[in-house]
Amino acid sequence: MDDLLVVKDLTKNFGGLAAVSEVSFEVRRGEILGLIGPNGAGKTTLFNLISGLLASDRGSIKLEGEDLTKKPPYKRSAMGVGRTFQVVRPFDMTVLENVMVPIFAHYKTSREAKEKAFEILKMVRMDKLADKMPANLTLAQRKRIEVARALATKPKLLLLDEVLAGLNPTEVAENLPLIRQVRDSGVTILFIEHLMDAMMAISERVLVMDQGALIACGTPDEVTSDQCVITAYLGEEVPGC
Amino acid sequence: MRTNKLKTAAAIFLLALLAVPLYFTSTFVLHMFTLVFFYIALTAAWNIPAFGGKFSLGHAAFFGLGGYTASILYVKLGISPFIGVVAGTFVAMVGGVILSFPLIRLKGPFFTLASIAFAEVLRMVAVDWRALTNGSVGINIPFRPSWLNLTFTSGAPFYYIALGLALLVIALAWWIRSSSLGYHLRAAAADEDAARALGINTAKAHFLGLMWSSGLTGMIAVFYVFYNYVLEPGTAFSMDLFSLQPAMNGIIGGMGTVWGPVVGAIIMTPLGEFLRFYLGTIQQGLNFVVYGLMLIAVVNFVPGGIVSLIEPWFKKKKSGDSSAADN
Repeated sequence: MDDLLVVKDLTKNFGGLAAVSEVSFEVRRGEILGLIGPNGAGKTTLFNLISGLLASDRGSIKLEGEDLTKKPPYKRSAMGVGRTFQVVRPFDMTVLENVMVPIFAHYKTSREAKEKAFEILKMVRMDKLADKMPANLTLAQRKRIEVARALATKPKLLLLDEVLAGLNPTEVAENLPLIRQVRDSGVTILFIEHLMDAMMAISERVLVMDQGALIACGTPDEVTSDQCVITAYLGEEVPGC
Repeated sequence: MRTNKLKTAAAIFLLALLAVPLYFTSTFVLHMFTLVFFYIALTAAWNIPAFGGKFSLGHAAFFGLGGYTASILYVKLGISPFIGVVAGTFVAMVGGVILSFPLIRLKGPFFTLASIAFAEVLRMVAVDWRALTNGSVGINIPFRPSWLNLTFTSGAPFYYIALGLALLVIALAWWIRSSSLGYHLRAAAADEDAARALGINTAKAHFLGLMWSSGLTGMIAVFYVFYNYVLEPGTAFSMDLFSLQPAMNGIIGGMGTVWGPVVGAIIMTPLGEFLRFYLGTIQQGLNFVVYGLMLIAVVNFVPGGIVSLIEPWFKKKKSGDSSAADN
């Protein structure tokens, strides 16, 4: 497998706090890569750096060999980096229109954009709610809009920030296959999640962050038995870590 | 069926508006209508950046730039106001380019403050640059009736010009709002970061919105100035008349919507004239007290503006129509 995204020595300081420090990893094309870590580990900051909402202090981000590090967010999106937000913030317009917004980058007329948006809504099974206002929908449905909107940018790499958080078990069971389905349609996925069961069920590899640093990387089994990871989560004293 | 009825009603209404100058010869009635049309156009132009959530209180800057450009060209160089319209629109857009720097960099009230400062600075320039603007004395448009001079002996031509401007700006606003620029602006208004992450160059969208808005304001100003024959810094760059009034109309009608400016201008323009005439004579400034109270009431009780009260009624009509079509 070749590498879609290569992150090297990525660093971001907020004043004296190293939110992300010297993080290096690669995302392989076609994989589902999980990103876990305790609260405040720097996961969302890492997403903000990759999508360009924050400028990095040092290090580089390359997508298919092309350097993204200095590019503004809208260019990164055009190059193939899509993302969702932890706190869902749908625009104040109908579900269909929400999905149409990013499509306008590719299609000029309203009618074409509408057709394309409808196709994407079908994929996330939201087509029946196309005319509804997001404010009247459940959280699970609004998270689907987030995913649909991100898919509408035709991403090569999709960054999912806690798309399952806050959902009840039934909803998780409904939304989980969606992630796999998106991957099977040819989109590589890097996702943050706190629900360990879900994470372990669908990710092929897992990255673990703690206090801004990448502390482990491997298959779900390898990671869960890693002493450093256990320390990060449980705070045990383990000599030699 | 009902949409057809709505279309028929709109057509009849428009025809009635076209017929007004034929039946009402009173200069007061014509003047009031003309003023309402001018304010519909000015408010609809002001409203375009508001699609993107940008609240300007400096549109008098574009008004003054457009108005001064055309009248200086006409009075000092004898250039027809029809060329003046093009020049005025262009100069107002140059003003828009300058204001776009704070527009893109500043958020919320900070942009609004910058826009106020921008208009005030231009007003002071107009006062002090006497060689060009005649300073506080202002510029008088000589009365030489002719189509080419945009000067008429009756009120009817300007009635039609203002009506045309209002329709033009409403149509443009509607077109912009349903085009990709409109969607991008609305997305940026709702969530700037999410919009940027979705591939939208929000800075460009805000910039284009302001270009439309400033250019249209400058263009409307040229006609307005020729309608009034006179301009001086205090009125051309007037905070009250051309910065606050469009913003008030917009908020009360419904900011960031297509019809809000129309409703706002129709209600506020005659009311403003009435209040100025009756209350202003009792105690100067009393009319502004009423304005203030209205603003507080609308912002508190109908934050979406008056169109947000009317809109559901139209929506119902429309959905009723589609179900009828299914049958």
